[in-house]
Amino acid sequence: MSSTDSETPDSSDKRIGRQDHPGPGGQAPAPAIELRGISKDFGSNRALDRVDLRIGDGEVLGLLGQNGSGKSTLVKVLAGVYDPEPGGRLFVGGQEIALPLAPGQAGQIGLSFVYQNLALAPGLSVLENLTLGQRIGGGLTAWQPINWIAEHRSAAAVLDRYDVTLDLDRRTGELAPVDQARLAIVRAAEDLRRYRTRSGYRHSVLVLDEPTVFLPEEEVDRLFDLIRTVVAEGAAVLFISHDLTAVREITDRVVVLRDGRVVGQEVTADIREEELVSLIVGAPARVDQGATAGVRPVEDEQAVALTLAAMTSAGDADGAVAGENVVVEHLTDAWLRDLSFEIGAGEILGVAGLIGSGAEELPYLLFGARPAGAGALLLGAETLDVGLLSPQRCVRERIALVPADRAMQGLSQSLTLWENIVMLVEDEHYRGGLFHRGELVALAREAIDRFLIRPPRARNVMSTFSGGNQQKALLAKWLLARPRLLLLHEPTQGVDVGARRDIYRFVKSAADLHHMAVLWVTTEFGELAEVCDRVIVITQGRHTDTLVGEELTEEAISAAALRQTREDR
Amino acid sequence: MSAPAPVDEPRQAEHRAERPAPSAMLRTGLQRYAILIVFAALIVGFGIALPGTFLSVGDLSNILGSQAVLFILVMAVLLPTVVGDFVDLSLGSSLGLSAMTLAVLNVQHGWPVLVACLAGIGAAMVVGLVNVFFVVFFDNDPFIVTLGTMTIVQGVIYIVSGSNSVGIVSTGLSNWIFGNDFLSIPLEFYYGLAIFLVVWYVLSFTPTGQKALVIGQSREVARLSGVRVNRQRAWAYIIGAGIAGIAGIAYAGTNGTVDPTAGSTLILPAYAAVFLGATAIKPGRINPLGALIAVYFLATGTAGLELLGAQTYFQQIFYGAALVASITIPKVTRDRFLKRRRAA
Repeated sequence: MSSTDSETPDSSDKRIGRQDHPGPGGQAPAPAIELRGISKDFGSNRALDRVDLRIGDGEVLGLLGQNGSGKSTLVKVLAGVYDPEPGGRLFVGGQEIALPLAPGQAGQIGLSFVYQNLALAPGLSVLENLTLGQRIGGGLTAWQPINWIAEHRSAAAVLDRYDVTLDLDRRTGELAPVDQARLAIVRAAEDLRRYRTRSGYRHSVLVLDEPTVFLPEEEVDRLFDLIRTVVAEGAAVLFISHDLTAVREITDRVVVLRDGRVVGQEVTADIREEELVSLIVGAPARVDQGATAGVRPVEDEQAVALTLAAMTSAGDADGAVAGENVVVEHLTDAWLRDLSFEIGAGEILGVAGLIGSGAEELPYLLFGARPAGAGALLLGAETLDVGLLSPQRCVRERIALVPADRAMQGLSQSLTLWENIVMLVEDEHYRGGLFHRGELVALAREAIDRFLIRPPRARNVMSTFSGGNQQKALLAKWLLARPRLLLLHEPTQGVDVGARRDIYRFVKSAADLHHMAVLWVTTEFGELAEVCDRVIVITQGRHTDTLVGEELTEEAISAAALRQTREDR
Repeated sequence: MSAPAPVDEPRQAEHRAERPAPSAMLRTGLQRYAILIVFAALIVGFGIALPGTFLSVGDLSNILGSQAVLFILVMAVLLPTVVGDFVDLSLGSSLGLSAMTLAVLNVQHGWPVLVACLAGIGAAMVVGLVNVFFVVFFDNDPFIVTLGTMTIVQGVIYIVSGSNSVGIVSTGLSNWIFGNDFLSIPLEFYYGLAIFLVVWYVLSFTPTGQKALVIGQSREVARLSGVRVNRQRAWAYIIGAGIAGIAGIAYAGTNGTVDPTAGSTLILPAYAAVFLGATAIKPGRINPLGALIAVYFLATGTAGLELLGAQTYFQQIFYGAALVASITIPKVTRDRFLKRRRAA
């Protein structure tokens, strides 16, 4: 998301002018941490624009914003991963610290981070993970003997202090996700406590980056109890999340980022959810430059003419001409709850949902790639039981899955481009005991040509191609198999703008010319607004909204995805 | 001492050729055929050093014939390796089990030789089936499982044979394997060639082979492309074990008596040939043609060394050095290439 010029730069400054209300935690004269005028550019793209932020001692501050709003960039500046532009200032406990921070310096000034992936070693025991930080130092300390009995005792005391019960000898990977998160938080909080006792300072800040994303809602409360204990011990918390309900429950104050600027800071108790959503999403009347650069599918007929030709040659003209409706009924698994929807022939149905909403499960469930779902998939006149689907079955039924992880799941990186493209149609070119490799290479070359894959070298190894070209190859591979239902998950992740346009066009043509039913799952809501005919919104595993026609704007989709349903039920 | 010869030769050859035109074509070509170039250099070198003996028909037939058992075992090793299960250590024991079953049934129990042969191959395939059960069905690490089955099968061989060599297997079998020849090369060479042709055909000229390749290179991609990953892996183990069984028959026919340790000395050279072969013809891919060349490259080297009067244990040094060199040299030249590119 690039920064927009639709807003005057001053508007953010005005907001910052009224930041002087005290937090409910009783703000100390010197905040635990204060950032002033932090900016960060990536090339011509301004990811952070003069961001000011202060967190008082014992305060839980929520940091909100959409994907690309600059939240993670800000965290990485604090962690010393990114160097901010000159001019920004950082105060910790009232003392100025020179920017940029060196990697690892954050720990020495009382900052500690828990990321979404938790950074725990799953093969080690709870005890080992808890004490891992103390083992990293090199030199002579690396040779000091470890008294495991004493370690065990002190670790038990640490867990006790935070009121967390965990088996210290358990393999960490075996713990429930919430317990893993709690372990990571205890470890980080303990680092901070050690810092406070060692340095004698009062301040210290625990940064939690999306800690609730993969947790079931009933377990989030246990995490919050822990966070409250950490705050009671004396640390401040910066809580970064998409989850508005969680933010409203745990934070004292919220700061909202949009396009790299602070667009609002409010006391959590004083702001209604709708106000928060419109702060995050932006003014509904914002002019959207993206959508007007329209997609004209017919202009690109030749791009998929190849697929059409292949379809008729294989003699299933009926499917190709008329297309089929796809209906999904009562789809349920660990994340999704009784989801039903329909995709018309030739329709591109978008699925919007935040990470952890269950939307990202959908394409894999419908492809049988992850077992343990229940529900029905009606493909034309056929009814398939989702619980019994397997990838083999789905390939035979001509369901296509373009997975998000193209390097590991989509394309074989060590094979050549042509081998990847024709992977699904090889059997058709094996006749009379002979493998017609020449035909396959010719077919692949044609696809390379039509799908604009660069460089057009059929025999180059897959890993030498850029992300955009790999994605086009992946799409070509599946379109050659003439799918009746095309499932796409994050199809433009890590893809440059030009290739992104191409991919939109290819999918549009597949839907328009082949009447293919397309399911497009992504967290890039602007993309959904641009390519989809209709968008369904999933929050917490439930189908909570459907958007069509005029409603298909990035803002409307974001707002619908952020809106929480938990309180309504 | 000429053992390290193959280490230096290709490095210099590549280095020299690279300097005028470091084009990608030339580089891949060199990598593809490096082993053939070294092979040719080796033959010329031994030919000059040993005029009259090395290039004689008798020696050719000796090299081709003596390696037939190893060569058949290499084809067995190839199959699980292609689908990405990089080690089936038990294949050597399967060879031994097959040979010992044949010998015991034929010599001690007087079974007809043909039935005994089939029983031997069947016994080897049972080992393959056990591997499938524990590796594919239970999704265990193939290295650990086959280390276990190898040891178990070795134990079974000792029990069946009473820890003694068993002989002499029917001379009819010996004649049909080793005694008779065609174009003065023992028949077993042609059996190996036939197996090679079948394996080569399936792996290189059928969709099944192409799918096996995808499984070996990226299993998850294969699964999500609808390939029956586990079924193909299972077949690779079972058919591989069957071919190892055939190698066992060839071993018994060649040697006449079967030693309880028969297969254990062959499995590592077989893997050396497979991995050395993967650096040739289609670099980075386990391929039968490369393996064929590698087997006879190694055989030529050892035969030449033997004729030069080197002790047999130098063969092992030659095998190991060739294997390590074959995977290291492409990296050395690539790094040098990249460095120059960066400097430019």
